[in-house]
Amino acid sequence: MHELGVATEILGIALSEAERHAAKKVTSIRLRVGVLRAIEPENLSFLFEHIARGTPAEGALLEIVEDPVRVECEACGVSEASSLTWECPRCKGTGVSVTGGDSLTILSLDIDS
Amino acid sequence: MRPDGNVRIDVERSILQSADEAAALIRALLSERKIYALNLISSPGSGKTTLIEALLARFEGKGGVAVVEGDIETEIDAERIRKHGVQVRQINTRSTCHIQPSRLLSALREMDLSETRLLLVENVGNLVCPAEVSLGEDARVVLLSVTEGDEKPLKYPLVFRTSDLLVITKTDLLPYVTFDVDRVRRAARAANPAVEIFEVSATAGAGMSALLDRIEALRATKNEH
Repeated sequence: MHELGVATEILGIALSEAERHAAKKVTSIRLRVGVLRAIEPENLSFLFEHIARGTPAEGALLEIVEDPVRVECEACGVSEASSLTWECPRCKGTGVSVTGGDSLTILSLDIDS
Repeated sequence: MRPDGNVRIDVERSILQSADEAAALIRALLSERKIYALNLISSPGSGKTTLIEALLARFEGKGGVAVVEGDIETEIDAERIRKHGVQVRQINTRSTCHIQPSRLLSALREMDLSETRLLLVENVGNLVCPAEVSLGEDARVVLLSVTEGDEKPLKYPLVFRTSDLLVITKTDLLPYVTFDVDRVRRAARAANPAVEIFEVSATAGAGMSALLDRIEALRATKNEH
């Protein structure tokens, strides 16, 4: 259910940017979404499609660039994992801290002017 | 111009920008009035309201506590808190699964905060959505009861990553459930190395004074200037 709030914010930003650039239509929206945000892409697209009806962003495609969780390991240096873990995926050490994976950003819009 | 005739414009804007702007206004209001604010987040039934009641008992007679209750529906929690004789405001979020900063800002603007030194905001019972939105709080507190299972920091990483205090509640029930406290501590520390962890039982009283002392000390850091 939390995707609805995110979809609403995306639409608001897309429409204000479209207006600023005098666009007739928004055809595509690129997003960077962190794994830690627990956003379900299909649900987000479904909700966006619904709320964008009747606006210049109707039918716009959501392109989601995944921002993976980054795990920093004291023992072996920076590593990467697909979900939160307290164990380094490379050396199995436990001195890890999570340093990324929570972005929620609109990167760019494709508009038809 | 792209091959399909469309133009790409760079935006690079946070999707949570409007919420962040409202949170900044709350932060300014709290800072101007020297009010220390806690945002309490947990699943339904983990002990947020009980912790608030314990804090009200701790500050009884010292005054200066105000409470904002967030629920999808009903005034049940506000009525429970009102019995303690403190100022309380209920926000019913209806279709939204967390308190939005704009709603909290409106509530705070309607409240008399002239004597308030500590603001307790009880978010909607939910480990997902409240974690995404800052309410301009000074500290975020996540509560996890031992009956919920020790895998929660892995399943709901964002709330554990963004919380300053982790309170493991209902520890008097540990003998009856499978809950590895060390596993939770390790996972929570991986998500946020600076997190302060407390283990409490409100019914048995264990660990409560350490938690209440810490919150009182945190409040003092903001009030004394």
